Amino acid sequence: MSRRLPVYLLIDTSGSMRGEPIESVKVGIEAMLSTLRTDPYALDTVSISIITFDREVKQVLPLTPIDQIQMPEINVPESGPTFTGAALEMLCEKVDQEVRKGTPDQKGDWMPILFLMTDGKPSDLQVYKEAIPKVKSHHFTNIVALAAGPKAKTDELLMLTDKVFQIDSMDSTAFMKFFKWVSGIIEEGGKSIGATDDVALPPPPDEINVVI
Amino acid sequence: MLSENGISASTPETKDFIRWMTTEAWNNYQKDRMDKKIIVKNRIDSHPIVIPNATKGKHYSSPVITLPTEDAFDFSIEGPDELGLIVLHDSDGVFKIAGTPQVTGDFHFTLRYKYHGWLEGEPLLERKIPFAVNPNPRDLWKDIPTPTDIQFFKEDCEAEQIIIKAGPDGSPRKDMVAASKRGRSHAQEGKARDDHFRLFHSDDNDWYIIAVADGAGSARFSRKGSEVACNTVVDFCKTKLADASAFEEKINNYRNANDEETARKILGDAVYSIVGNAAFMAHKAINALSDNVEGTKPKDFATTLLLAICKKLDFGWFVASFWVGDGAMCIYNREKHTARLLGVPDEGEFSGQTRFLTMPEIFRDARSLYQRLRFGIVPDFTALMLMTDGVSDPMFGTEANLNNIDRWDDLWDKLSNGFPEDDIPGVDLSDDNENVKEGLLKWLDFWKPGEHDDRTIAILY
Repeated sequence: MSRRLPVYLLIDTSGSMRGEPIESVKVGIEAMLSTLRTDPYALDTVSISIITFDREVKQVLPLTPIDQIQMPEINVPESGPTFTGAALEMLCEKVDQEVRKGTPDQKGDWMPILFLMTDGKPSDLQVYKEAIPKVKSHHFTNIVALAAGPKAKTDELLMLTDKVFQIDSMDSTAFMKFFKWVSGIIEEGGKSIGATDDVALPPPPDEINVVI
Repeated sequence: MLSENGISASTPETKDFIRWMTTEAWNNYQKDRMDKKIIVKNRIDSHPIVIPNATKGKHYSSPVITLPTEDAFDFSIEGPDELGLIVLHDSDGVFKIAGTPQVTGDFHFTLRYKYHGWLEGEPLLERKIPFAVNPNPRDLWKDIPTPTDIQFFKEDCEAEQIIIKAGPDGSPRKDMVAASKRGRSHAQEGKARDDHFRLFHSDDNDWYIIAVADGAGSARFSRKGSEVACNTVVDFCKTKLADASAFEEKINNYRNANDEETARKILGDAVYSIVGNAAFMAHKAINALSDNVEGTKPKDFATTLLLAICKKLDFGWFVASFWVGDGAMCIYNREKHTARLLGVPDEGEFSGQTRFLTMPEIFRDARSLYQRLRFGIVPDFTALMLMTDGVSDPMFGTEANLNNIDRWDDLWDKLSNGFPEDDIPGVDLSDDNENVKEGLLKWLDFWKPGEHDDRTIAILY
């Protein structure tokens, strides 16, 4: 087995994502996969996992090499809370299970990258806050958070990472741009692995605002 | 029918009743059929069907897909033929998809079927199944030549052989070959090769000198650093070994010594003054270079270094070496099934972290430098190999495997047999083969996912 670059996508599937927003996210992820599949580095190394969170947290796609991925069903309930904290808990669990550590006989995977997308704020704030140090101890090379739409809160996201970005609309154009940019980060990650601890981010597209 | 059941009805009543009854029954019938259809459709839709993705140009064969024939029949699947694939039916509802896809992209196959109770003329039920054909990653790599006008330009590949004919007594003498090739990751972006090597054999006194270096990927001018390192150490050793009689005498004394420890110390100091000094000269040469190139620091020329000097003596081979950084250097003996590693690779905690010749701490004290030296007398061997991590990583994976003799056997087999599945022939490492360098250069093209660094290997055989 060669070394993989694990990429975790945490997608908010709370009620407010129903309809166009979630469809746009799906289209965005599919476009991202298509882009990555034409990059020889990415095709060799990138594995992706998708975890969705609403009142329930589900890993809809276990960590899978991009050439083998078939887009899973992503369903959105009619309403309910957004358990972002529980999603981070599951993330840590899955990273422990899925990302291979180096041993004397086998090289480990590259350090993982995390993207989190939400259109609201964590309903389980206490759990969320407690999960943050855990996430940080899992050595992600990069954590990028996206606050999508007018109701998305950035304060909580800034506790998780200083790389918080915002898009105002939740249409397919905005998500498409975001995921195209994400592909760029992943591709860059595949190239500069090992050279630095932190993968340098390419500049975000115009529609995406950096939250300071 | 009505009168038989004792019901008397007028003609209009009868007509109306029949209309009412048939409409009612018809609706129930339709509803019943629709329910049946939906139940079957839901079952088929939720039936797990996984058709793994394929890769363009690679033979593909899906697992056998079995559909529930108790619910439906006359299954067919549409779409594979457009991609150059065929559907192999075993019996109804049991099939697989095979062939070699010729197009790439995201597609959907359409599974069509009839539910039990299906009537002639009724549309078939269907389910879409996603299917992707990936490009072959090998087709995606670009080979952009390095611009010749960059500072410290270096050729994208280099190979050299030194064929040494039999000695005066007619016994064959070992040859040397080395090849170095820019990694795909560099070729993709038109960046220069950072690796380097240099070979030397003295026709006068039969000393062999081999140096291999890997310029650090993160250092701007490491391609020059590796070149300066190889040239400096080889030139230095060459000068030192031009008259090697005193040195060879020390080797002899060591071999015949009663007091092994003292003789070993004397010889060790001599090795230190040749091989250790060569490395230090290279370190200084890079410092001097950085002083002369505006705006650079020695670390901009960061490079690893593997250096070996050796000579065949009456009683066996004397080999001495210096090693800083990753990669591998080893005396391999096929018959005796041994691999003697000439040092310990400096592997970092994470990939890409290693030690470099340019780091001052390497030469801070004699003790630490001494630890990087190896010397000894060994019986005849199959090959002395020096390689950068572009070769050792894909071949060995981890540092621990470098101590595993079976992995060296594997490497030797791969050198001899090549990679038939990838049309890469083996290298003919027989004595006096005049075409060995072309073979070795071609061999460096082997494929290993995720391993696309510059590759350099030097072999004395």
